[in-house]
Amino acid sequence: MSGRPSARLQARLFVAGAYAACVLLVLGSCWLFLSNAGQLVPGRPVPSEAMEQWRTDTRPKAFAGAFWRDASFWRSVNLSIATSTITALVAALVGIPAAYALSRYRIPGRKLIDVLFSSIIVLPASAVGLALIVMFQHGPLYRLQQALGFKVPHTIFPGIVVAQLVLALAMGLSAWRAAFDAVPRRFEHVARSLGSSRWRAFWTVTLPAAKTGLIAGFILAWVRAMAEFGSVLIFCGTFRELPLSRFPPLNQALQMHQADFLSVAMWVEIEFGNVEYGFGIAFALVLISAASVYAIHCIGGKGYVW
Amino acid sequence: MIQIENLSIDLGELRLRDISLSIRDGEYMVLLGPTGVGKTVLVECVVGIHRPRAGRILVDGEDITRLYPEERNIGYVPQDYALFPNMNVARNLAYGLKARKLPAPEVQDRVERMMGLLGIAHLRHRLPLNLSGGEKQRVALGRALVTEPRVLLLDEPLSALDENLRCELAAELRRIQRAVGGTFLHVCHDFDEATDVADRIAIMNEGRLAQVGAMEDVLQRPASLFVARFTRTRNLLDATAERTGSGSRLRIGEALVLASDADSLDGPVTIGIRPEDIEIVPEAEAPAGGHCVKGTVVDIRPRPTYTEVEVDVGVALVAHDRRNGKVTESLIGKTVLVHIPPRAVKVFPRETQ
Repeated sequence: MSGRPSARLQARLFVAGAYAACVLLVLGSCWLFLSNAGQLVPGRPVPSEAMEQWRTDTRPKAFAGAFWRDASFWRSVNLSIATSTITALVAALVGIPAAYALSRYRIPGRKLIDVLFSSIIVLPASAVGLALIVMFQHGPLYRLQQALGFKVPHTIFPGIVVAQLVLALAMGLSAWRAAFDAVPRRFEHVARSLGSSRWRAFWTVTLPAAKTGLIAGFILAWVRAMAEFGSVLIFCGTFRELPLSRFPPLNQALQMHQADFLSVAMWVEIEFGNVEYGFGIAFALVLISAASVYAIHCIGGKGYVW
Repeated sequence: MIQIENLSIDLGELRLRDISLSIRDGEYMVLLGPTGVGKTVLVECVVGIHRPRAGRILVDGEDITRLYPEERNIGYVPQDYALFPNMNVARNLAYGLKARKLPAPEVQDRVERMMGLLGIAHLRHRLPLNLSGGEKQRVALGRALVTEPRVLLLDEPLSALDENLRCELAAELRRIQRAVGGTFLHVCHDFDEATDVADRIAIMNEGRLAQVGAMEDVLQRPASLFVARFTRTRNLLDATAERTGSGSRLRIGEALVLASDADSLDGPVTIGIRPEDIEIVPEAEAPAGGHCVKGTVVDIRPRPTYTEVEVDVGVALVAHDRRNGKVTESLIGKTVLVHIPPRAVKVFPRETQ
């Protein structure tokens, strides 16, 4: 931070603004929540166990629609964690080598790739979802799906993963690239002068030196996947109202049937008038995000992971 | 024996042109030059980081120009040492031996011996993060030397260290080089550092080698004004040269005429005289044989190993006097004789600007 008084004042104003925004957000949501607690806004009933319980139960209403007692909530948590983890793994599999290449080699069109991926980060996710729908429902990809007898849109696997992957990869890629950029190329030069192949130098020196940043990038990609909303909603829709027979046995065995991606589930609940339940899911999402960001801070503070 | 033949490379801002340099076995060669002339690029070409546009690099007669760095067996200690941060000292040293897939007992044995030679055995479990500058330098040196490279390249190995430690470690480098009988190429920008360690020096300027030779040789016969200036020749004066039988007469300004051994060109030249070659003689003790001019002492500045004397002989000259005690501050303002032997006067073509 600059020592000049005007700059300090500016910084203080920024901090004060940020605090004010946080306070407003917290107070606002508390007010919304409290003013709605105990009321059930009439709307289209959602066929979930919690809703049935809610309607038949004459006792005083439970906190946040008692979302934790709803089996479909836990199925949604399962679903979200599983798809986010798979997405982050796929993103790492593709993104870490790509980030290394972008960081180390003179690739023609590297600037273009940079701009493309950076622009994805700032793009509204719903636009990504729409682009994916158009891509998978028309043309060669559509015919390929038909020929192979499977479909990507409106499925849990691989639909949600594909919808999450675009933004998670863009997010992960920038973090992983920064991690590799932070490791001086000199390490590799010295390792190779000592007789290591490029491959061994990467595995024994570059990768361990970049480890902290790579793991932070993985968590970022996971959180970004978890926080996905627009593209999952548009590309996959909701699954809770589908009959049980539409879910493959594997999904049922993993307790991921008749469930929605968490952020989509939250939107559906609120849209259908189940505001408390929606808030419940929102709080669950806040907890998950906070835990992930805390994990990144722990890594950043120590400078190493283990 | 390493030979660099007509090496050229173009890296945009830095380019090397037609560099030929040969380093003999067991020799300590210092590559010297101001910052940004391409010394590091030359070293990186030998390591194999850059591929030269033209020319060859031969080690013991084998052409290594097209080999990968890992196939060259050349030791490399970069400026920041680049110790692997995820490994302790012992594992840093063992890295190259493990890459060669040597059996574990031999790896351990050679690492132990190298740590003993460098006096870093007590650091074996430390991470690079917890080492001082001098310790890091030894570890980097050990890591490169333990693989017994054909030549060791040291890129500014002493620049990151403070002055006292620098002198100490320069002597240490010399000791280690003799102990392992290695061929060293040491890059630096500091002339004093070069005088501490070098068998021979190569001076580089603007992507070319300006002069290669033994230290004494370069000091006494600088090939160009740049080399003279870089090796601390002072008293650089514009003069007009005139050929004589055994050398030349140099007219400086109105009053001063000096004789030189150098058979120079006629016409405008620049001359340089090393301060330690100029002798200050009290007027009473005039030496026989001439080559003396009269001057007035303007200033005297005692230094640890010599006394710097500024004399006005029509132009200002700087002399370094080592006859301790004879030249004292009482001489300021007095008239003295300044003895300038003809061999001390170096003549260079006038730089056109």
